[in-house]
Amino acid sequence: MINALRFKEEISSLLDVLYESQKDNIEATAQAMKECIEAGGVIHVFGSGHSVGLGIDIKNRVGALVPIHIMEMTDFVTKGGISPEEFTDKKNIFERKPGVANKLYELYDIKPQDIFIVISNSGINGIVIDIADLAKKNGHKVIIITSMKHTLAEEPRHPSGKKLYEFGDIVIDNCGPHGDALLPTDSEAKVCSVSSICNNCIAQAMAARTIELLKADGFELPVLTGDETHDNELRKKYEGRA
Amino acid sequence: MDIKKQYFELIKARIDDVYVKQNDKISKIAEMFGECMDNFGVVQLFGVKHGEEFVNELNYRAGGIAPFHALRIRDLILKKMVNQADVDSGEVYNDCSLIEKFNEIYDLDDRDMYCLVSFYGNEPTLIEMAKRAKEKGQKVVGVVNRSSYDKCGGKLLDYCDEYLDMDSKDPDIAFDLEGTKVGQTSSTVANVIAQMLTAEIYKYFVDQGKKAPVLLSANIKGADVHNNSLTDPYGRRVR
Repeated sequence: MINALRFKEEISSLLDVLYESQKDNIEATAQAMKECIEAGGVIHVFGSGHSVGLGIDIKNRVGALVPIHIMEMTDFVTKGGISPEEFTDKKNIFERKPGVANKLYELYDIKPQDIFIVISNSGINGIVIDIADLAKKNGHKVIIITSMKHTLAEEPRHPSGKKLYEFGDIVIDNCGPHGDALLPTDSEAKVCSVSSICNNCIAQAMAARTIELLKADGFELPVLTGDETHDNELRKKYEGRA
Repeated sequence: MDIKKQYFELIKARIDDVYVKQNDKISKIAEMFGECMDNFGVVQLFGVKHGEEFVNELNYRAGGIAPFHALRIRDLILKKMVNQADVDSGEVYNDCSLIEKFNEIYDLDDRDMYCLVSFYGNEPTLIEMAKRAKEKGQKVVGVVNRSSYDKCGGKLLDYCDEYLDMDSKDPDIAFDLEGTKVGQTSSTVANVIAQMLTAEIYKYFVDQGKKAPVLLSANIKGADVHNNSLTDPYGRRVR
C-alpha cells in the first residue's frame, strides 16, 4: 500500500541509515569548509538537474553561510554565450554533454583556497564530471554528493569512462536508491524520490557543523543574521565571489 | 548531542508532526490533483523564492507524477521578458502581468489547475494568478506557511479552494548556537510534504483502478522512452 504514511515511515528510516553511515564524511566536509572559509575562500557548489536544490537551500536566508557560491546552469546562457535553444532542450542532452563545462568554470573568480561541492545523484553526466575534473586539476579540494547505489548501477556516459565519485577527495553517499524513487509499485516504476530530502539534510547538517567549528575557533562568522547593515556588509565582502 | 545528529532528529520530529497535522489535507489535495489529471488537465506549479524548491520536487521528477508543469521565472529571463535585476530585488513578484507573460510562452489550458507556493502568500503576482484562475473556474491550491501568512496579512488563500501549511516557525531557524541563528528546516519539510502528496496521488490512481503516470529517473537506461510516452500526449503542456 502506497500512501503518505508509508512514505513518512520509510524516509525516516532512510535518514537514520544516512546519518549513521555518512556522519564521518559530513564531519570531514565541515572541517574542509571551515578551513576554506578561514583562509578567505569560497565554497563553489554545482549540481545539475534537481541536485541544484541543495545549493539553494543553504543560501540567502537568516542562519545561512555567505561564502557559498552556486554555479548556476543558467549562467551558461546569461553569462556564457550558450544559446537558449541549445540550453533548454527537452531531452536532457545538454547536461549529458562533455566538454562544455570549462565555459562555465571560466566565468567565475576562483581562488586557490576555494573548494568545490559537486552534486549528482547518478554521477554519470558530462558537465558535473567535467566541473569536478577541472576543479581537481586546478588543485582544489572536491567533495562529491551522490547516490552510490545509483551510480554503481549505471554505465558511465563520460568519455573518460569515469563516474563522478572517482573525483572526490570526500564522497558523501546520499543513500538514495537506484533511480531515486523509494517505494516499489507493482510495475517497474518506483514512486517518491528522496535525493532532495537526503541532500538537504546533508547540506544543512554540514553547514550547521561548519558554523559551530568556526565559532569554536573564534572566527568572525560569515552568517546572515537578518540585520540589514550586518548582512549587506557581509555580502559586500564576498561580492563578485559568492 | 552532535549538531549533525540534532539536525536529522529535528527533521524526523518535524515530519512526524506534519503527518499528524496535515495528512487529511494532503490526501484531499492529492484527490483534487488526481481528478484534474484524470480530465487531461495539468497541475501548473508556481513558487516564490524558496517555494520553487517545492515546485521542483513535484515537477518532472524521478518517481513523480507526470502531468505537472512549472511556471518558471527562469524561462522569462531566458526569453528576456523579465530582468535579472527585478528578480534579484524581488520586484518581479509585484508584476501582475506575469501570468500573461507565462501565457505567451507556455501552452496553458482551461482544464489545468494551479498550485501556488509562497511562504507569505502576499505577493501581488501570485494573488493575480489565483484570481484569474478562479475567474475561469479553475481550481487553485495554495501552499503557505500559515504563521508567516497570518503575520503579514497574506491574501492568497482568499482565492484558493484548499491549502497546505508548511508549518514552519517564522523565522525559520533550526538552531540557536549561543545567540547565533543557524540553519533551516522549512525546505526539507516542504520536500517531504511534496513526496507525501506524490504518494497520495499515486494512491488516487490505484483507487480508481488506473495506472499512475509515474516518471523514471532520466539517468536510468531506457527511461527516456518511458517518460516520453507519458509526456508526449500533452505536447508542450508539460515539462
